[in-house]
Amino acid sequence: MKESIGYRIFKFFLYILMAVISAVCLVPFLHTLAKALNDGNDTMRGGITIFPRAFTWQNFQTLLADTSLYRAALVSVAIVITVVVTHIAIQFMSAYVLSNEDLPGRRKIMLFTIIPTFITGGTIPTYILFANLGLLNNFMVYWLPGLYSFYNVMILRSYIESSVPMALREAAKLDGAGEIRTMIQIVFPLCKPVLATVALWLAVGAWNNWSTTLMYITDPDLFNLQYKLMEVIKESERLQQLLQQSQMTGEVVNEQVKSTPESLQCAQVIITTLPIVMVYPFLQKYFVKGVTIGAVK
Amino acid sequence: MKSQVSQTKTVLSSNKRKKLKKYSVLYLMLLPGLLSVFVFSYCTFPGVIIAFKDYNMFRGIFGSDWAGFKHFEDIFTLPEFSGAIWNTMKLSFWNLLFGQTVPLLFALLLNEVKSMKYKRVVQTVSYLPHFLSTMAIIGMSYALFSTYGIINDTRVAMFGEETERVKYLAQQWFFVPNIVGTNIWAGFGWGSIIYLSTIAGIDAEMYEAAEIDGASRFKQCIYITLPCIMPTFVMLFIMAIGNLLRDSFDMVYGLQNAFINYETISTVVYKQGIVAGNYSLSTALGLFQGVIGLVLVLVTNKLSKKINNIGLW
Repeated sequence: MKESIGYRIFKFFLYILMAVISAVCLVPFLHTLAKALNDGNDTMRGGITIFPRAFTWQNFQTLLADTSLYRAALVSVAIVITVVVTHIAIQFMSAYVLSNEDLPGRRKIMLFTIIPTFITGGTIPTYILFANLGLLNNFMVYWLPGLYSFYNVMILRSYIESSVPMALREAAKLDGAGEIRTMIQIVFPLCKPVLATVALWLAVGAWNNWSTTLMYITDPDLFNLQYKLMEVIKESERLQQLLQQSQMTGEVVNEQVKSTPESLQCAQVIITTLPIVMVYPFLQKYFVKGVTIGAVK
Repeated sequence: MKSQVSQTKTVLSSNKRKKLKKYSVLYLMLLPGLLSVFVFSYCTFPGVIIAFKDYNMFRGIFGSDWAGFKHFEDIFTLPEFSGAIWNTMKLSFWNLLFGQTVPLLFALLLNEVKSMKYKRVVQTVSYLPHFLSTMAIIGMSYALFSTYGIINDTRVAMFGEETERVKYLAQQWFFVPNIVGTNIWAGFGWGSIIYLSTIAGIDAEMYEAAEIDGASRFKQCIYITLPCIMPTFVMLFIMAIGNLLRDSFDMVYGLQNAFINYETISTVVYKQGIVAGNYSLSTALGLFQGVIGLVLVLVTNKLSKKINNIGLW
């Protein structure tokens, strides 16, 4: 069927609109990258678009000279690894069990785990509980509390139910394999795609988390990269406030305060996001897969 | 006859024992997960009673003195708290309005793009912001809106050299639009996935039949696509309504600075509770927030079931 002229015009503008939307998604990142790779004083003149004007590695060199940043990166990597390993283990195991439709009490167990998604004690009771459990300033606070996720278990469970035939599991058991062996040797390999999705979500969430640090951690040795970034951003804000106050009172501002940390801030944004931006294009299909599995419900 | 009955009985009980043995392993495998839910979710519930007490750290949750509804009176009378409640609702309203409709609109538009390659590229790019941390997004927004950022540069380029450069992130009026805009930016692509997959599942015959009947593309969209994705939309909407009094702490706290005076429930709870140590008062505010959220979910779910026959449960 031939398309009407109106629809063709619409299509023309639609393709342009989509290009604009894509640009809007990318420009903030590219602009930050350009500023991170640009000379700090030159940036102050304005006019940086998405390409650096006076190219330099200086901002990154300054940041990487700070050893506490390595420590924070180490903490971040450690968080990601422990979260992915422990959460996948617990959640996959739970999903495997709950995929047994004849399990007595299955509905009650589901109810037990869905209630906390609607009702929580709130920030302060949680804080008090964590304090009583000795989780404050403890690395465990990063991975222990979120061990079970109702949503992830649902996704894993529905994948197991739809993609791993029950007959296969029965056959394995007839051959003498126990539940744990069936789970590890039969079901686990067949669930690789969905496991990749959930693992990636967990990894990204763990990498990006900074409010846990803000709430429960005061020991600088346990700060992660994201929290360091927050410190830098908040710091530069205080600096600007100081600058404005001194302008009003007419005090002389020393050079140290004057040098803008904006390009350093941008460089730190790039450092903290680079791991994600680098792996994202290659793993994109895994990121997306879980949403559609979850939508089937 | 009698022996036969007892025989089946013994078979049954041995079956039962076998079953129990089979399930005991399964229950054992489930235990760590359930234990963590119990400890880290259910064990926070009793802590809520400190909202009705004057919490004393040394005397514990149960040892502290009762205070009645004093803290609840405070959260409605102290301007700091009642203001935070209003601010949260204002912010949530805009987030709800745009956060729910923009992904839907984007999905409908993207669905009209017939070139698969182009569609794939736009999708890939639009999902990316979802995976960046709030802090990174805030850092980018500082770069974008700074005095010598790309936004001010564009304004100067458009309106001439004498245009005054605005420090957007230090403007009170810009705070809410910025949060709402940033949330849209970060979420619209990801939010559209669920709609796109629903659209992909619509029976193609419906479109063919509509085309034979002479329906234009626009009409097909209105009368076929839209009704088909409505249940998904309503479901997401109900869930979002439950969060009307919940705000994204990360975003609000991250974007606050010395020039901004905009507190929401979560930032007040954090600042008054964890930072300043007013545990009971903050818990009262948190409890209020939680209860309202729950009531909202239940009410909307019921209403939606009555009107559209669509509900979460």
